[in-house]
This record gives sequence, structure tokens and C-alpha cells, in this order.
Amino acid sequence: MPVKNVVNTNNSYQIQHITFCKYALITPNKIINLSFPQMLELRRKINALTTYSALNSIIDNENFVLLFVADKQHLIFLEIPQLLKLKDEIAAFFQEAVLA
Amino acid sequence: MNTIVRKQMSINTDVMDMLNNQIAMEMKASASYLAMASWCDQRELLNSKAFFYKQAEEEREHAMKIFTFINDNGGAAISPSVTNVNNDFESLRAIYETGLEQEIAVTESIFKIFKAARKADDFITEVFLQWFISEQSEEEDTFRSIIDVFDLMEGMPLKMIDERLPKE
Ligand SMILES: [Fe+2]
Ligand SMILES: [Fe+2]
Repeated sequence: MPVKNVVNTNNSYQIQHITFCKYALITPNKIINLSFPQMLELRRKINALTTYSALNSIIDNENFVLLFVADKQHLIFLEIPQLLKLKDEIAAFFQEAVLA
Repeated sequence: MNTIVRKQMSINTDVMDMLNNQIAMEMKASASYLAMASWCDQRELLNSKAFFYKQAEEEREHAMKIFTFINDNGGAAISPSVTNVNNDFESLRAIYETGLEQEIAVTESIFKIFKAARKADDFITEVFLQWFISEQSEEEDTFRSIIDVFDLMEGMPLKMIDERLPKE
């Protein structure tokens, strides 16, 4: 499994495609397997959290978010820079479909 | 569209987001027509109440059409929350005018999605939306004809006007 070789050194969250309908969210401390519907749900949540008003309210409050992923099997912790990077990562992942 | 994501989903993700917003818009329209139906029902405006009960049902059907379309194509349809439904109206005519405004807003929204689908080469959504475009042109026409009746019968008792209006 290629996913085992991933060393996450930069404290960010990454998406990896493993097999036909298996994906992985690589976090600083664990690897979370995701199905495609779970990927779509993650995308929806991240997009909702990164609107201008949502970001403002995060900054005004705790300055981080806790997020359930993979049908609530995992809880992840994201600070603003991580959140924004993951948003780009997911956008790029779904962008492939259009560019090809 | 022949990469990883394409294998799981046959519509464009950004277009899917717009379709999900459209589901919310149709459900909101449904709730709004239900409020109008109630106003008419309480005032014994029989044709108008039948008309708006029917509209409320139809809008829900539109929402469901889009809902199953998204899921059938591998996407994730989102059940929307419907808030801020207005239940307070000043007149029957104002109700139909609000209805027309609502329909025009829906038409414009459908056009936007249609354009986005075209731009993203999402042919499946483009073809799917064609039905909605014809439907919207019929809906707008229905409301405009009703408002014409109000113009023609100006000054007549409300119940008499109602009797001349279509039930659906
Ligand atoms: Fe509709
Ligand atoms: Fe309609």
C-alpha cells in the first residue's frame, strides 16, 4: 500500500487516492481511510467552514475547529492554516475531474 | 472527465453544489406556496387554495427530481433546511405577484446552473436541466395569465375573481 510510505512532515492534512473507491486523509498523526461519499462529505464540511463568515467566527472564537470525518469515526483538529490548506487540497483533488 | 473522480461521479462537483442550492430553493418555494395556500384556504378562496396546494406539491417534486439526480450520478444530495417562510400577505393579488417573482428567481437560478454545466462540459446535467427550463417558462406564463385576470376584473369582489382563476 503506497499510503504507508507517506511521511507527513509539514503538519498539514493531505488527500491520497488508494484504490478505485478508497481514499485516505493523511493527518499529522494518523491516516484515515475514506470512501467516496465520505470524501464528498469532507469536502462539503470544509467548504462550509471556509466561507468568509465562517472563518471570521472561528477566528473570533476558539481559533480552531474540531471536525468529524469518515461517518463520525474520527475527530480531527484543524487550525486555520491547516483548514485553508486542506480546502485547497480537496479542491485540487476534485478539479482533476474537470481538467482531464 | 476520465480521471479518478469521474469514475465515482458523472457530474461536476461545483455544478453539484449549485444543484444542492437549487434543491433548497425548490423546497423553500414549496414552503412558500404552502403558506399562500393556507392564507387562501382560511378565506375560502377555493380555486386559489387548490392552485397553491398543487404548486407546493409540484415544487417538492422538483426538489426530489434534483435530489435523486445528484445521488443517481454518484454525488451527495443534501436535505436542506427551510427557514424564514413568510405567512403574512396583504392581498390575493400580492400573493400571485410574489409567486411570479419567485418563479422568475428560480428560472434565473436554473439558467446559472445550466451555464455552469455547459462551461464544465457537464453534459449530463445540461440535458437534465432542459426539462426545468421548459417547466419554468410554463410556470411563468401561468402566473402572468392569472395576474392579467386581476387587471381585467379590477374592482370585482375577491370571490368572483377567484372563481375565474385556474385550480392548477
Ligand atoms: Fe420549481
Ligand atoms: Fe414553480
